[in-house]
Amino acid sequence: MEHIELFLKSIFIDNMVFATFLGMCSYLAVSKKVSTAVGLGAAVIFVLTITVPLNWLLDQYILQPGALSWLGEEYAAYDLSFLSFILFIATIATMVQLVEIVVEKFLPSLYNSLGIFLPLIAVNCAILGGSLFMQSREIPTLGLSTVYGIGSGIGFFLAILTIAAIREKIRYSNVPPALRGLGITFIITGLMAIGFMSFGGMLTGDDEEAKEEKTAQVNTVIKNTNKELANNTKVNE
Amino acid sequence: MGLLSKKDAALIKDPLFDNNPVTIQVLGICSALAITAELEASIVMAIAVLFVLGIGNVLISLMRNIIPSKIRIIVQLVVVATLVIIVDLVLKAYAYELSKTLSVFVGLIITNCIIMGRFEAFALANSPWQSFLDGIGNAAGYGIILVMVGFFRELLGAGTLLGIPVLGDPIEKTGLYALGYENNGFMLLAPMALITLGIIIWAQRSRNKALIED
Amino acid sequence: MEKRTDKNSYTILFAIGMVIVVGSLLAFAAAGFKDRIDENKRIEKQLNILYAMGVNENEGNDMSFVSKDKVGGEFSKYITKQLIIQGDEITEDENAYLLDLKKEHNLAKDPKHERRLPLLIGEKEGVIYYIAPIRGKGLWDAIWAYVAMDKDMVILGAFFDHKGETAGLGANINQRFFMDDFIGEHLMDSNGAFKGVNVSKSNADPKNIDKTDNEVDAIAGATITGNGVAAMIKSELKLYVSYFKNLKN
Repeated sequence: MEHIELFLKSIFIDNMVFATFLGMCSYLAVSKKVSTAVGLGAAVIFVLTITVPLNWLLDQYILQPGALSWLGEEYAAYDLSFLSFILFIATIATMVQLVEIVVEKFLPSLYNSLGIFLPLIAVNCAILGGSLFMQSREIPTLGLSTVYGIGSGIGFFLAILTIAAIREKIRYSNVPPALRGLGITFIITGLMAIGFMSFGGMLTGDDEEAKEEKTAQVNTVIKNTNKELANNTKVNE
Repeated sequence: MGLLSKKDAALIKDPLFDNNPVTIQVLGICSALAITAELEASIVMAIAVLFVLGIGNVLISLMRNIIPSKIRIIVQLVVVATLVIIVDLVLKAYAYELSKTLSVFVGLIITNCIIMGRFEAFALANSPWQSFLDGIGNAAGYGIILVMVGFFRELLGAGTLLGIPVLGDPIEKTGLYALGYENNGFMLLAPMALITLGIIIWAQRSRNKALIED
Repeated sequence: MEKRTDKNSYTILFAIGMVIVVGSLLAFAAAGFKDRIDENKRIEKQLNILYAMGVNENEGNDMSFVSKDKVGGEFSKYITKQLIIQGDEITEDENAYLLDLKKEHNLAKDPKHERRLPLLIGEKEGVIYYIAPIRGKGLWDAIWAYVAMDKDMVILGAFFDHKGETAGLGANINQRFFMDDFIGEHLMDSNGAFKGVNVSKSNADPKNIDKTDNEVDAIAGATITGNGVAAMIKSELKLYVSYFKNLKN
């Protein structure tokens, strides 16, 4: 249940593009055609799915204050969290370079159309953002962090796919010349983001508290009716 | 600019308007959205990027002949990250107040694709001096857009500039507010940064028809 | 022809060299600055705690802390006692305010471990302040607060801060217009049950005159940060309730 909740949350409510505005650069630049958008989206899902759990392990066993205690008691005092940026980035960059090599070898056409943006996945803020959110939101388990990685990736995929589809269609519309291309894309994205804000109402927690209050209310109502009934019977008597 | 040759001057001037990193090259959008709700934050970010991009470009350019092409991305990222972390540590030790203002941006600077984009597209192939100019120019072009967006968002959203009320007091209903004007709190939300940016692009391309995409 | 820099052996050597250079540079910088950074952090904590107690140099609508040179002296002058509460056990500890709350959070995930809670007791002009440092999550990253209360858990002063909330929106939780609203708010309801303080958008009382409604006005556009503040107050200060109950008996 926790997993499903986090999964849906990372796709819709905390959507990388529309809620946190990360990964915008590649989102805007590679969304002219649906086919390239799908390629980039898939690459982002892949990289996020691998790097978030990997960085979770790094964070848990190397970076956090006291994380080194598995090496022995004397290491427990070390705090390497100042290294987290660099280690996270190193993991990400390595993975990206790996993806780059694989894509270049097996899908040269995709490689050409992605151009400069494949290496830029490494600085796609969505990817580092995924790892940093994982750290700052203190996601507790490896499983959850994997789910979070996949969910965020799918969120990005969804965003870039929709905007690419819209951009393909909007070519047939009569957009003012100066707005064509980037300008109108910005505005559409803004409108889509406003739409996505409405997902914020989903899954907003503290259900338990509300339930407690409700049962308390119901109890008082029952008590009151009982009293009334009692009074009534008295009158009847 | 007597010091600079025509070509060098173009390196600084072009990215300010006609080849602006944000509105034309589509780089560095994330941070342009994340921090422009306030003018002050926009200015701080612009200066930080100017600093990092200027120095980073020179470093990468100096190393351009020894960086193995297979791991160039990692090297580039490590250079930025190291630079930013060291600056952050120094600030924390000697200018703690300033570092608190900046700490929010540390992650955003590292992942700012303007920096990687210029490393990849320029510094890897050009001399240190030219790279330095290119870095300064692009960072300034980025800064201009950031300050513009920040200006409009803070003015229309909160009725202040740099935290100082300029349109009167919304609660006491003085100044413009006496005429029934209201702050548009919506401007402070991130989607409006996108739309503001879209409008800036519209204005820019209406003036310079050559930039219009087909 | 293959370039020298394309060779695998060169790549590996370069990578190793880079790791060593960068690693030692960073380790050196981190170790070299550690003392100064820790000192700065300690001073900041003292400033914030004193601020929550109302020991500050606020003038009009401006907000300012006591000056840094004086903070050490003021801190030992106003803070009379520092406690660490662990279950029923209360120990005095003169560095209780430095307790790493994040670490305590993590330790408390283990059900066998009883959370350690720092509590500072201060006195100013005859009034006793109970100050609790608390920590929670905002939209992007950590948020934290120092809440000064009286023995009935009525807030006497609060200082909020954050690591990286959105500038102009959530980041404003460390501004006076937000923090001052908390002054005088009751954490308990009229029956003496712990309610916390909600950061509410649909607030019928935007000028915050009613101090017993367990509500303050939210910052427009900063819903999640506001909810984070409310959740932090609710879950963290609740842990102190038994201490305050014992105090009365």
